[in-house]
Amino acid sequence: MPLRKLKEETADSLTLQWVLHVQNYKLTLDKNRCVGCQICTLACPKEAITLQKQPRTSGQKARKAKADVDLSKCNFCGICDIACPYGAIKVSLNGKHALPVLEKESFPEFIRDIRVDESKVNAECLNVSDPCPLGLITIKSDAASAAVKVEVDKEHCPCCTLCEVKLPGVMHVRKMFSGRINIQTEKCPENCTDCLDVCPIRGALCISETDKKVRSNEAFCVYCGACKVVCPIDEALELKRTHISHMPIHSGAWNKTLERLTSPVEMTKELKTKGSTRARESVKKRVGLKVD
Amino acid sequence: MPRKPVQKKAMSSQRKTRKQHKGPRIGVFICQCGTKISSVINVDELTEYAKKLPNVVYAENMNYPCSSQGQDEIVASIKKNKLDRVVVAGCSPRLYEPTFQRCVSKANLNPWLFEMANIREFSSYCHKAKPEEATQKAKDTVRMSVAKARLLEPLSPVELPVTKNVMVVGGGIAGISAALDLADMGFKVYMVEKTETIGGYMALLDKTFPTLDCSICIEGPKMVDVGRHPNIEIISYADIMKVDGYVGNFRARIRKNPRYVIAEKCTGCGECRDACPIEYPNYADMNLGVRKAISPPFGQAVPLTHTINRDYCIECYKCIDACGARQAINFDQKPEEVEVDVGAIIVSIGYDMYNPQDLEWTGYGKYLNVFTALEFERLILAAGPTGGKVVRASDGQKPHSVAFVQCVGSRDINKYEYCSSFCCMYTLKHAVMLKEKYRDAIDVYVFYNDMRSNFKGYEEFFNRAQKNGVKFIRVKLEDRRITEDPATGNLTVSAETEDGRPVSAQVEMAVLANAAIPHHTAHELAEILKIPLNKDGFFVECQPKIRPTDTEVPGIFLAGACQGLKDIPYSVAHGSAAAAQAAAVLNRGTWVVEPLVAKVNEDLCSGCRICESACGYNAISVAKVGDKDLAKVVEGLCRGCGICSSACPMDAITMPNYSDKQIVAQVQAAVEKVEKA
Repeated sequence: MPLRKLKEETADSLTLQWVLHVQNYKLTLDKNRCVGCQICTLACPKEAITLQKQPRTSGQKARKAKADVDLSKCNFCGICDIACPYGAIKVSLNGKHALPVLEKESFPEFIRDIRVDESKVNAECLNVSDPCPLGLITIKSDAASAAVKVEVDKEHCPCCTLCEVKLPGVMHVRKMFSGRINIQTEKCPENCTDCLDVCPIRGALCISETDKKVRSNEAFCVYCGACKVVCPIDEALELKRTHISHMPIHSGAWNKTLERLTSPVEMTKELKTKGSTRARESVKKRVGLKVD
Repeated sequence: MPRKPVQKKAMSSQRKTRKQHKGPRIGVFICQCGTKISSVINVDELTEYAKKLPNVVYAENMNYPCSSQGQDEIVASIKKNKLDRVVVAGCSPRLYEPTFQRCVSKANLNPWLFEMANIREFSSYCHKAKPEEATQKAKDTVRMSVAKARLLEPLSPVELPVTKNVMVVGGGIAGISAALDLADMGFKVYMVEKTETIGGYMALLDKTFPTLDCSICIEGPKMVDVGRHPNIEIISYADIMKVDGYVGNFRARIRKNPRYVIAEKCTGCGECRDACPIEYPNYADMNLGVRKAISPPFGQAVPLTHTINRDYCIECYKCIDACGARQAINFDQKPEEVEVDVGAIIVSIGYDMYNPQDLEWTGYGKYLNVFTALEFERLILAAGPTGGKVVRASDGQKPHSVAFVQCVGSRDINKYEYCSSFCCMYTLKHAVMLKEKYRDAIDVYVFYNDMRSNFKGYEEFFNRAQKNGVKFIRVKLEDRRITEDPATGNLTVSAETEDGRPVSAQVEMAVLANAAIPHHTAHELAEILKIPLNKDGFFVECQPKIRPTDTEVPGIFLAGACQGLKDIPYSVAHGSAAAAQAAAVLNRGTWVVEPLVAKVNEDLCSGCRICESACGYNAISVAKVGDKDLAKVVEGLCRGCGICSSACPMDAITMPNYSDKQIVAQVQAAVEKVEKA
C-alpha cells in the first residue's frame, strides 16, 4: 500500500517525514540556522538536497541560498545531519535523534575540538561582548557562588575560532574544515559585496579600506562555501577544502562525500594514510589519479 | 529459433483412397440427437433428399451416431457400402469432429475424408418455430457438405518434437504446486518469479481459513522443496521479455534483474544486513514496517539471496566488509538475459490488491486507523512490524472495537463488478482471531452484504464467528461511509440496512476488504504469450467448464488466481491440474498438429512477403532458399486461418481441404436452384 510521505514547510523550518505504522522517520531543517552553504548538498549520497539562489530585491543585501530536500530521493540516512557545520539539519526516528550511519560506521563523526579552559575563566569574561558570531557562547555568573561560567553550544558550532581571539586563553578551538579561500578582486564587479552579505562568520570576510573590495580572512573562515554559492562571477572567488577533521573510518559513502567536499586528490591522500589500497585503485581507474 | 518441425508420414499405413472411375462414394449419416434435431427437422425427408444427391451411395438417419454403438454402425456401413467419403449431419464440428475422424479411420478411411454438416445449432436449435424452413435449411447444409466432400483429399498429420522442459511463470502457491508436481514427474522446471522470492501472497499471511493454520508454516516447506528440488531452477527477480515458438518448442528470453548480490555465493547468513545502516519501507510488510537496504523481504524467502535496493543504498560498502571472504556482493552487477527452451508454459502470476484510496467514502489514506485487510494481516502476524500487536496508527494503542467493511471495490459496477471470492472468508478469519485472542475486551463488527462461505468447512467457520460474538450487520453496498473524529482518531462506520434503516457503529479501527484485481503484468504477459484476457483482465481459459486450465494456445496453461480469483486450496488444485495438463503434452515426445496448415507452392511463390505481414501468428516468413526468396510456414504456429492464402497475389498458398475449388463447390451448392420441398 502507498507509503505515507509528508513534506511541510514553514517560515522557520522544512520537515520531511516517512510515517510508517510503528516507525516515524523525520528530517528537520532549521531555516534560521541554515546559511545556504554547499556542505549538505555535497555530502548527501542520494543528491537529494539542492540549493536555490534567492533573487535580490534592488538596493537590498544579497540573500542566502535556500536549501530544499527532495522527498522522493531522501532516505533519512542522516549524513546531512552529521555534515552540516551549523547543525541545522536533524534526523530522528520516532522523535529520537537517530544516526544509524554513525552506529554502523558508515560515516564518520566530524570532530568539533572545542575546549574551554575553566582555569582561565574569570570575571573579565563577563565584559566580552559577542564572543561568538553565531551566539553559541553564553557567559554568566552563578548568582550563588559568583563563579563565572562559559557555556558553548558545540552542536551548532562550525569552529571559526573567533572566540579564541575574543576570549584569549579561555577558548581553544581547532578548525573542523581546513582549506583555502582567495578572492581575485580584479574580477569582482564594482561595489559587489554579495559574499560578505551572506557570510555568517563576522570577520571571515571584510571590505578593504583601500579599494572597497571584499577580502578574505583565512583565520576565521570555516570553508562552508555560502559565499561561493552567491558569487555572481565564477572565477572571482576560489574556495577549496583540503581537510575535514573526522573520526577514523573505512566507508565508501565517506570516500565519496570526502571527494565531493574536497577533491579527488585530497581524498586519495586520505586513502593512502589509511592504506585503503582497493579504494585507491578504484579511484585510479575512475579518474586516472595516482597518489603515492 | 524454435526447432524445425519434422513432418512424418504417420498415416502411411493407411490405405490410399481408391481411385474410382465413377467418382467418390459418399455416405451421409443424419443424427436425430435424441429429439433435439428430429423434433424440428423431418429427418426421414432429409435422408431421402440426401440419397438423391450426386455421388451419395448411402444415407440413413440414426439416434446418436456419436455413441460407441453409432460409431460401430458407421464403421460397418463404410465397409459394407465401400464408402470413401463420409458426411455426418448433426451438431457442431467443434464438439464431435475428432470423434468421427477417429471413427472413420477405424474403417481404414483417411480421417480428413470426413465432413460434418451442422444441422443442430444452425437449423433445429435456431428455427424451432419453423420446422419446414428448418428442414429446408438442413437440406441446403447437407448438400453443401456433400459438394465439398466430393473434393476432399486425404491428408497426413504433422508431428512436432516436444522439449521435455516446462516454464512456470509466477511462484505463488499455484505455481509452486504446479512446479513441484511436474518436477516430481521428472520434468525440468524453470520457475520464473518477478519478485525477490517465491511464495506469493500466501507467504505474507498470518493464518489460513478455516483451519487457522500458520500460513508460512505450511507454505514454507513447499517453498524450500522448490528451492532444493534437483529438477527445479528458480529464476527470481526476473522478467519475461519474449516468448517465441509453439507447443513443444517454446523459447523464452528472460531478464534477470541485478540484485548486486551473486546468488551462487550468497549463503543468506544476514551479516551484511546487520551491518547495513539504511532502512526503507518493506513492500512485504505493506509499507507498515521497514527492511535494510540489503536484505531479503522476509526471513523465509526462497531463494534467500539478499538484494541491494540501490534507490536507498548509500554505498558505504559495509556489506562488502561483512560478507568478507564469501565475496558475494558485486555492485557492478548488470541485468543478465537467459534463454530457456520449454515444451509447455504454465502461467500463474496471481493477482494484485486494489488500493482503495480513490474510494473517498472509505477514508483510506486519509484516516490513520483505516486499514486494508492485508495491512491488518501484517499487523496481526507475529513476525510483522508490530510483533503481532494489533495497534492503531494514530496512537499506538490496542483498539477496543474493530469494524470490518466488506466489498470495497468489488461487486461495484463503477470499480470491479466481480466478487473477489475470498474476502468474506478472510474477514471471518480476522474476526475470529480477534475475538478468540481478546474475547470480551474487543467488539468486532462486520458490515457485509452477502456472506459467501461456500465450500468445505467454510459455513461452519461462519458459525464459529457468530458463536464467538462477532456482530454481523447486513447492509446495502450503496451509501456506506466511514468518518473520523479528528480528536480521538475514532471512526464511525455508517450504512443502511436492506430495509432502509440507518445503522452505524463507533469503532477504534476499520479494516477494508479491498478487491483483488488482475496482476499489473497480466496485460504485458498476455501480449507476449498471445493469450486473451477477459474484460476484467483475468486470463481466459479455453472452455470455462471442462477446460479450466487450457488457454487457446496449445501448450500454455493457466494456474491459480490469474485465471479467476481463488483461495489457497483451489489455487493448489488448479496448479496441480495445470501440471497434469502440461505433463500430457510433455510426455508425448511428439505433438501432432492437424494438417490444416497453409501450404506453399514453391514454383509459384515470388517471395513478395505479403503473406508475412498478413499473418497474425508470425507463422509464415520469407527466407532465401538457394537463390530464391520463398515463403515458409512454421506448422506449429499456423492456425489454418487462411489469411495468407487469400492475401497471396500469386495464388501460391493453399489451405488443405479449404482449397478454392472446394470452397467454390460449396458456395455453388449453396446457391444452386433447388425444388421446394
